[in-house]
Amino acid sequence: MRIRTLLLAGLLAVGMVMAMPTGAHASGGGPKEVFECVEKAIENNTEGKSVDYEAFENALEDCKKAKSLVTPALPEIIWGGIAFLIVLAVLMKFAFPALKKGLKAREDKIREDLESASRAREEAEAESAQYRAQIGDARSEANVIVEEARADAERIRREVVARAEAEAADTRERAQEDIRLAQERAVSDLRAQVADLSIGLAEKVVERNLDRDTQIALIESYINSVGNETR
Amino acid sequence: MVLGELLPNVNELFEWKGVVGPHTWYELNKVGIMALVSTVICIALFWIGGTRRKLVPVGIQNVAEAGYLAIEDNVSLAAMGEEGKKWTPFFATLFFWIFFINIWSVVPFVQFPATSRLAIPLFLAMVSWFTFIVTGFVKQGPKYFFSNINPSGVPFALKFLVIPIEFFSKYLLRPLTLAVRLFANMTAGHVLLAIFAIMTNELAVERNSGMFQIAFAPLPFLGLVAFTAFELLVAVLQAYIFTILTAVYINESVHPEH
Repeated sequence: MRIRTLLLAGLLAVGMVMAMPTGAHASGGGPKEVFECVEKAIENNTEGKSVDYEAFENALEDCKKAKSLVTPALPEIIWGGIAFLIVLAVLMKFAFPALKKGLKAREDKIREDLESASRAREEAEAESAQYRAQIGDARSEANVIVEEARADAERIRREVVARAEAEAADTRERAQEDIRLAQERAVSDLRAQVADLSIGLAEKVVERNLDRDTQIALIESYINSVGNETR
Repeated sequence: MVLGELLPNVNELFEWKGVVGPHTWYELNKVGIMALVSTVICIALFWIGGTRRKLVPVGIQNVAEAGYLAIEDNVSLAAMGEEGKKWTPFFATLFFWIFFINIWSVVPFVQFPATSRLAIPLFLAMVSWFTFIVTGFVKQGPKYFFSNINPSGVPFALKFLVIPIEFFSKYLLRPLTLAVRLFANMTAGHVLLAIFAIMTNELAVERNSGMFQIAFAPLPFLGLVAFTAFELLVAVLQAYIFTILTAVYINESVHPEH
């Protein structure tokens, strides 16, 4: 719609400028203007006594171009207009839409990238928070485990100590019993040996003085006294 | 006086022989050729920039995109606001085409801006004029004709003065001022460059009055260099002024309250 309006404006502009009364060809004015110009040149250059041919020639040369600078030349309007309308149509129809499409695509891409970067950052932050929470949980869990281990160790230590003490007491008791039995056995053995030795000794000493019954009575009395002493 | 003798007739700076069809209505001279070449350059620039695209712009694509967006920011949005974006293709075409026909003024061996002839500025001014008037009627209907020249807030007594002034200003003078501003600036620039070039040539090469002239040659030459740079600025500036004024006028047609 806009391009049509603009092209219409362009065509109207060409028409308008062409219709201007001052519009003239680039290569000179109308015949009347040229005639007047030549007439003036003749007048100007034949007034004095001598005729200035060079100035006259120059004036004639100027007449060929005698046109105001501000007179728009029709062919230039036509070619300029055509050139502008072509550039207007091609750029507005093809080049600028493609360029704008590209700019839009880049804008979208940048926006998309920024959004995805922002999303990625949010996700990373969430993950980081999650990891921090997990680390916190792990730490407290580790503390619990350490505490439990410590309690277990303490309990086991107590049990071991108690068991060791019980075993030690048991061992000591057994040892005392063994000692006692060994002592009793030793006393008994000793008693028998002492009796035998005493009998033998007594036999040798008093072999001929004492009868058997007296000897036994003496020995018994001796053993009893020995037994009382060892006890 | 000396300058007067040195300088050619001013018409010789602006008149060009026809290459095709001399002395006919379709005569193609230097101005027409420059207009057509500018068209080709403009189309090539934006065609390549618009169609052979990469996601990360380089080279011509970069120039085309930067140019288009510069017009969008500095003309469309600046003069018309968000609605101006729809008009950016038109403004960009206008700006770049005028710029390319202006810039011939400093292109070596061409050195003549096609806009220093009234034909093209007048044509463009007419395009601008018709565009904003047609847009006014399309957007506002028949009331545009009167509302355009009847500014609100003016006391009733002053309206007798203001309305005729506005009428002349908006309907008759605008195309003329647009055309003359562009044409006169480029013409003046071209004449200035020609004067400095001719002076430099006379002092450095011709030396009709003697060898001593060569000592003064650097002065006009420096002027020539400076004004060539200045012409470059003028070429851009005039294209911008023409485009933004068109945008302002169109904005008045689209938003009568402004």
